[in-house]
Amino acid sequence: MNALKLTTATAVAALAVGSAQAQDVFVGHLADLTGATASIGVAYADGIADAFAWYNANGGIDGTEIAFETIDYAYQAPRAVSIYQDWVSDDVVAIQGWGTADTEALIQFVAEDEIPYFSASYSGALTDPTGDAERSPEAAPYNFFYGPSYSDACRALAQWSWEDWEASGGEGTPIWVHMGADHPYPESPRQACSEYATELGFEVADQIQYSMGPADFTAQCLTLNEVGADYAYLANIAGANIAMLNSCANLGVETQFVSNVWGYDENVMRAAGAAADGVVVAVRTQSIFTDDNEAIARVQEIAGGDDYQVLSYLAGVCSAAYMVEAMRGAYEADDEVTGPGIKAYIEAQSDWVPEGLDGLCYPSTWTAEDHRGLMTVSIYQGHVDGATEGQEVADLVADGVMSLEQVGEITLERRPEWLGY
Amino acid sequence: MAGIQFRPCGDFRTSYRADTTIFDDRFSRNFVIGLVIVLALIPIPTVFDLGFDVIDRYWTNLLINIGFLSIAALGLNILVGFTGQISIGHAVFFGFGAFSTVFIHENTGLPVFFTIPLAGLLTAAVGLIFGVPAARLKGLYLAIATLAAQFILENFFARADWFSGGTHGARAPRVELFGFEFRDAQAYWWLVLGYVVVMYLLATNLMRSRDGRALIAVRDHYLSAEIMGVNLTKYRILSFGIASFYAGIGGALFAHYNRFVQVETFNIFFSIQFLAMVIIGGLGSVMGTIMGVTFIVLLPEVTEGLAGTLRGTELAESLNLEVGLNFMKEMAIGLAIILFLIFEPDGLAHRWRQIKAYWKLYPFSY
Repeated sequence: MNALKLTTATAVAALAVGSAQAQDVFVGHLADLTGATASIGVAYADGIADAFAWYNANGGIDGTEIAFETIDYAYQAPRAVSIYQDWVSDDVVAIQGWGTADTEALIQFVAEDEIPYFSASYSGALTDPTGDAERSPEAAPYNFFYGPSYSDACRALAQWSWEDWEASGGEGTPIWVHMGADHPYPESPRQACSEYATELGFEVADQIQYSMGPADFTAQCLTLNEVGADYAYLANIAGANIAMLNSCANLGVETQFVSNVWGYDENVMRAAGAAADGVVVAVRTQSIFTDDNEAIARVQEIAGGDDYQVLSYLAGVCSAAYMVEAMRGAYEADDEVTGPGIKAYIEAQSDWVPEGLDGLCYPSTWTAEDHRGLMTVSIYQGHVDGATEGQEVADLVADGVMSLEQVGEITLERRPEWLGY
Repeated sequence: MAGIQFRPCGDFRTSYRADTTIFDDRFSRNFVIGLVIVLALIPIPTVFDLGFDVIDRYWTNLLINIGFLSIAALGLNILVGFTGQISIGHAVFFGFGAFSTVFIHENTGLPVFFTIPLAGLLTAAVGLIFGVPAARLKGLYLAIATLAAQFILENFFARADWFSGGTHGARAPRVELFGFEFRDAQAYWWLVLGYVVVMYLLATNLMRSRDGRALIAVRDHYLSAEIMGVNLTKYRILSFGIASFYAGIGGALFAHYNRFVQVETFNIFFSIQFLAMVIIGGLGSVMGTIMGVTFIVLLPEVTEGLAGTLRGTELAESLNLEVGLNFMKEMAIGLAIILFLIFEPDGLAHRWRQIKAYWKLYPFSY
């Protein structure tokens, strides 16, 4: 009978815990801390949680503390939907979300419940609030994200690659290849980006598949050599890219890798070591942690020290900061914080930056017809000069073994036909 | 019901009719009927705007999840528990049902209410095809053959833009019937509950029929069954068809509740989870299936609740648990399942029978 007792006890405990928070301003934070994308999810979630804690310690929303709850959903979309329903029962006003599948699963729910949803998925499909755009699958009026869409970041990398090709005096037609798994996330920018690469003058080779999890990618690297790719876009997340860079380094592949925003950061550089040298990555923020400016000083305050913070942490801080600023704006306008109020405030601003983060977060503009907040993409190149084994990222950066160098900044035109796609 | 079970003394039957009743005794029957009525009454205040809710959206969501997963898991239990076959690709049939209800609705314009059973039939057809290897294979070999179904269909979902919307997924509309839109989640619960009742009655009755007994005979001793004239090939493949039909119905209900379906959901992990549900519930037990599903659905919620109470407390801080708590939560789920299998290998259905037997003879139990 012990099993029964245990089951009953836990069920009772669950009932008691069920709904704990019913404060005025409740913000939910969906994070992947243990699931398939935890390698990049932890730093981003830390950025968001630290920023909310800092805003609470510094006045909250006109003195009201933001009730903030982080839940780890382990990258399982059905769990995300269930957590979301729980939060709605507790009158959540806004949500910081995470992955592609769960964000897209919640589009219609958040639109109906009028809850602004800031995702860490930057899928182009989330950028059309009206659903009128030619190629957008549907309206996503309450979805926001800070950063360039996956499609735009990839287009910017294609443009940088083209400029790089011209500057290096390359001859003939350069070859561009999209590398990624058969999965919604790496697939998201493929068509949009390939079309733009063709428009720029690239010859676009057939897509090369590699899995979302790390494996031996020798075959893929051989294919890269075979097609003679000049630029290869890495569409998967960090773990798979580490394996890819290692496999290709072993074969001496000379293709220039360009990576999506989630595919390359200081942790990848540390794990892949010399193999990660020279990779180019799209970056969402105007500065990185080693820069010396007031916004980075604020980030250090938020992080509670000058321990090194990776790229995703900074993006998390920006995402949280935009949300808090919008909540404050909504409160000033209506004396209360509501989903529609937050949305209205965001859509009324143009080229705005949260207070104190000028120089970190790019000025962004979301309008009632266009949720492509950011069309500017910072382009960085990673340098790894020496052994990285057994050392911390912070030490490696401090010793100069690893560094990120800005090699460009691309501002794309806001083409109407790119909306929602 | 079906399956080998020892009856407690005093529990005897005097006719075949009495031996094949759906419920063992009157109490069980009244209990289940009462439970269904109570569950059916829950949404009334919300749907008719009486100003209060019996349960909030969180619990409604869990109930609905338990509902459609129970239907799909029952299919797997018919296949694994009653027929003794194995499938580690059940999630893709669940997914096939989800995609096909949207596909049928978009291409024929039929109201969603009617596309749900059609999706079940279409999935059953696909299941029959993938069940063909069962005619020749058994045990581990069959398991690997069904693994192929998992990968083939997963790839199909990711590539067939015309059917599933490719990797971007498909939008599923709301269920509408004669102008009544199942807009509220609680109204949707009625639909799910209706399907649960119908599908469970169907399964129970199937097991009381000639075909049901044939399925059980195939499981218990296929050689004897064949000698007795049971067509092994037919019944093995048929059980795949039935399992897929149930999965398809469950998947279609999932699609119109979630209103968005994408290939990523129907991975092998989800298939394994279905197996866990029927094993924990009790192989070869219709009612046990619901218990197993409830267990698997509530377990992460319970661990999350426990983690939530610990989070931010001095105990967690002094032990520096803040980061580890999330990992402990995931590990606790695994641990609970392992412990469960050690101490309750026959599933929740068995435990439930023991509890009933205990109270039946109370206070003179032996």
